[in-house]
Amino acid sequence: MPPSKTLAQQLAAKQREISVAEFFERNRQILGFDNPLRALLTTVKEGVDNSLDACEEAQQLPDILVEVTKEGVDRLRVAVEDNGPGILKREIPNVFGRLLYGSRFHANRQSRGQQGIGISAAVLYAGLTTARPAKVTSKVEEEEAAHVVELLIDTQKNLPKVVSEDLLLWDRPHGTRIELLLKAKYQRGRQSPFDYLKGTAIVNPHARFTLVEPDGTRITYERASTEVPPVPKEVAPHPYGLELGELAYRLKAATRPLLLECLQKDLAGVSPRAAREVLSKAGLSSTTRAADLHGEDLEKLLTALHSVALVAPSAESLSAIGPMLIKRGLRNVLGDVRPEFYAPPVSRPPKVRGGFPFLVEVGLVYGGALPADQPVQLLRFANRVPLLFQQGACAITTAVQNLDWRRYGLDQKGGQGMPGGPCLILVHVASTKIPFTSEAKEAVAEDPELDKELTLALQAAARHLRTHISRRTRREFASEKFAIILKILPKLAEKTSALVHKPVPDLTPVITRIMDVVSVDTTVASEAGGIRARTEVTNYTPRARVLEVFVEMPCELVPKAKYAQTPEGTDAELGRAWWTLEKLPPSGKASIEVSFPKGTEVEASDLSWYIAGVDEAHLLGAEPLPGDWDVRLPRAVIEAAEAGLEPLPGTEEAEVDYDAAEGSARVEDDES
Amino acid sequence: MPRKGAPVSKTTKADGIGTVRVDALKPTLDLARSIYEQLDAGEIPRMRLPLRTKQNIAFQMKDGVWKLGRAMGTRSARKLDGALMLLRTFYLVDFINEMAREGKTSTLRELYYISEGWEEGKFHSEDESNLLIEDLEVLCERLREDFRVHPEENGASVIGDLTIKETNRKGVVKKINCRDDVGDGGYAIPFNVEKEKIEFISSGAKFVIAIECGGMVDRLAENGFDEKHGAVLLHLKGQPARSTRRFLKRLNEELKLPVVVFTDGDPWSFRIFASVAFGAIKTAHISQYLATPQAEFLGVTASDIENYELPSDNLTDQDIRALQAELTDPRFKTAEWRSEIELMLKNGKKAEQQSLAKYGLNYVTDTYLPEKLGEMGVL
Repeated sequence: MPPSKTLAQQLAAKQREISVAEFFERNRQILGFDNPLRALLTTVKEGVDNSLDACEEAQQLPDILVEVTKEGVDRLRVAVEDNGPGILKREIPNVFGRLLYGSRFHANRQSRGQQGIGISAAVLYAGLTTARPAKVTSKVEEEEAAHVVELLIDTQKNLPKVVSEDLLLWDRPHGTRIELLLKAKYQRGRQSPFDYLKGTAIVNPHARFTLVEPDGTRITYERASTEVPPVPKEVAPHPYGLELGELAYRLKAATRPLLLECLQKDLAGVSPRAAREVLSKAGLSSTTRAADLHGEDLEKLLTALHSVALVAPSAESLSAIGPMLIKRGLRNVLGDVRPEFYAPPVSRPPKVRGGFPFLVEVGLVYGGALPADQPVQLLRFANRVPLLFQQGACAITTAVQNLDWRRYGLDQKGGQGMPGGPCLILVHVASTKIPFTSEAKEAVAEDPELDKELTLALQAAARHLRTHISRRTRREFASEKFAIILKILPKLAEKTSALVHKPVPDLTPVITRIMDVVSVDTTVASEAGGIRARTEVTNYTPRARVLEVFVEMPCELVPKAKYAQTPEGTDAELGRAWWTLEKLPPSGKASIEVSFPKGTEVEASDLSWYIAGVDEAHLLGAEPLPGDWDVRLPRAVIEAAEAGLEPLPGTEEAEVDYDAAEGSARVEDDES
Repeated sequence: MPRKGAPVSKTTKADGIGTVRVDALKPTLDLARSIYEQLDAGEIPRMRLPLRTKQNIAFQMKDGVWKLGRAMGTRSARKLDGALMLLRTFYLVDFINEMAREGKTSTLRELYYISEGWEEGKFHSEDESNLLIEDLEVLCERLREDFRVHPEENGASVIGDLTIKETNRKGVVKKINCRDDVGDGGYAIPFNVEKEKIEFISSGAKFVIAIECGGMVDRLAENGFDEKHGAVLLHLKGQPARSTRRFLKRLNEELKLPVVVFTDGDPWSFRIFASVAFGAIKTAHISQYLATPQAEFLGVTASDIENYELPSDNLTDQDIRALQAELTDPRFKTAEWRSEIELMLKNGKKAEQQSLAKYGLNYVTDTYLPEKLGEMGVL
């Protein structure tokens, strides 16, 4: 009688390898292919991410073309083409035809792709929905011709199956193009390739993007910067937040036999002194070998690592976009919106969570054609990749919603939830390992360390917004005053004088009492002879002023500047010049002109004007002298400024504004 | 919104109206002089006016009405709104003086359209022009008729045994009995009801019943209520116009007729009664001239809704807010009114006058009014 199979044998017989096709079918959603709209976006995104990473590694300015064409009822042909370094022929099948194949998973540095699933998943999806191979064209600089490879994925073995190979004379030195035919749907709007490329262009201002839509529309985002971001350096993991398993793995793969040396070389931030302190805290001798460490000792070591002061993690493995490029990227893409305010972007210093460094950057734009009665537009990015789905489940969104934006000048019901107003907020999280909520990499998971940084960065940007809005309110206040003195007061004087048969009195004293500001108006005009910056100072206050006017400009402009009025002094090193305006009577005007030769690159925003001799509340159109400027003002300026603080005789005390109070009467009774 | 290019100023001769006081022009010019002097002295021009708000009305024992209190507000050119109102004031003063020179008058609505030519001073709504005219009344202690500005006829009417003499627009004196000499619409109350225009001759009536809705006036007239009970029916037409209130006051004072007010049972009707009996807030500066302190509220009261089981509607949020505002209104600070308002808030119900038709068309005249008037001691 043959021995009956044991339970283990029976179970073993049922176990078999799950094919990638099955895996894919069951995980369509987490891979981002669960519906035709999303399948298209995921395909474009994986293709573009690969292209950007490839160009970055080769320190190449990316030029990326995305073409979407309609083929049949529900099929689209998607092509993504770049000017990257190209892929060697033998690597093409593995790169595009094999899941979980890649060079970046084990590298401890920031990159767009990480798991090596992306583009092969798109190839797999195309194969499953249309049974057509992917067509890859790639040329490396060293070779004469490009290789054209058509391939499918063997879904049983997770291996590429090359359908055909050919050579092509390609009119470019190097680059890669992948073409896929897949079941998908094109639609503009949120979560479309259009939105994705727009977002990508903002955070990759060094790249040029072209999108050709199925109806032939061609959209190009030109590059706004010619600096290729440096390739993030690969660094060892930092002990802060390192877990036991990862530590054990690092010690096994140690480059040095001695634990003492291994701590310094295979982990980041551990100095020789710190390494000795760690060993003594863990009760380990200095001759302990890394490979010998087990169980309890390992745990002691980890505890010791967490209790010793270490060097902060390095940002070298991270690629921050940086304040300047965030601003340029936003300007480049939002040009047609004409925002009235770009907050200085915030780039936080790197921090660590779970042994991996991360940093948070925030850009904020306000006003212009941005809709005022809608929720704020939030653009989320992780490692320079736009996140278009799962906004509600994302830690970035939560951080935005938990901030009380009412304090910073936006609308927000109850001080929580998505704020409203003509505002766009960009948030970029960079990390060697972003904690995504799922494999589809659509939302960042909640994490206390990350949340803290997000909040700090958002607050910093929001403070700039508050300053801007309060300045704007001041300007509106001033424009109301100008309306009074320019339009209404002269007519009121004319009417009342005529009624009492008297000549119209001089209105200067009344005008200065109503305005009560020193108004500064700056214009920069390009003229035949060059560029002329003119600043006009009007004393709309009821008393004479002695003012000191300062201009500050980038140092390189100083030698080119010509002054119509001889400055009281200049400081070439600091890029400053200053003038004293002697005794400016009420309603008196004085102007200062600075001109630059033709062709000088100078904008209004390059010149900052500062005024001393009047307090901030009575100054309009210029800034008061910054507190940290070490300047000695002329005695006359100081004396006049002090006299200006004395209240004028006959200033009326606070009274009820009749026209504000009367409104309430209308509600009470309505009779004719 | 005003239509652009609408016909401007269809003015009528001042003659026959006869109320325009020539000395009204002087105070307007005094205002101009005051502003001129401030400008000449280098001061920000301003005017001080008593606040016409709920918080600033006070009961005046002498006249038995609510008048403006002492709180003042400032209209100053320091603020855009204030500057605009000052400018408009003098466009208006100029216009009034011009009308006086030419012997014209203007309606409130015409005045609103006249302002089309005032550039920055143009009114944005008729509310604004009406309020400014009232401001000028307060500042100059004159009536708007003195400034040659008057409302349009608003169609409020009287039916009942009341004989008057009216000097019509042709200067002809007509003797009219408001029951026998008029059609079904009754005698229409003109905007000017002063002695030189209207004289009360006699009345066989015992009291005046002032009614909110036209439909109820018609019902009482059709049922012969006026003749049967000796009533003068006066149609208030919602919130009554100044002339209607003045007419009522004169009926009460000169013919010694008691006045009862019959309205819907809702918070807005309470305000109609308040402006008839106590004086309105907006016109508190002339309450002694318009209010009838002896007027009594007949109904529909909150308890009527219960007692007569009237068909009712639930109070809206707006109604509730109006009632709550009335609780803080000094004019309603009597025990009776408090309990009436609180009862309505508690029950959460309001009802129309015409809901009495639930019991048939004769119920209001045969049962409800005789019962209520009996309780009030009028019948």
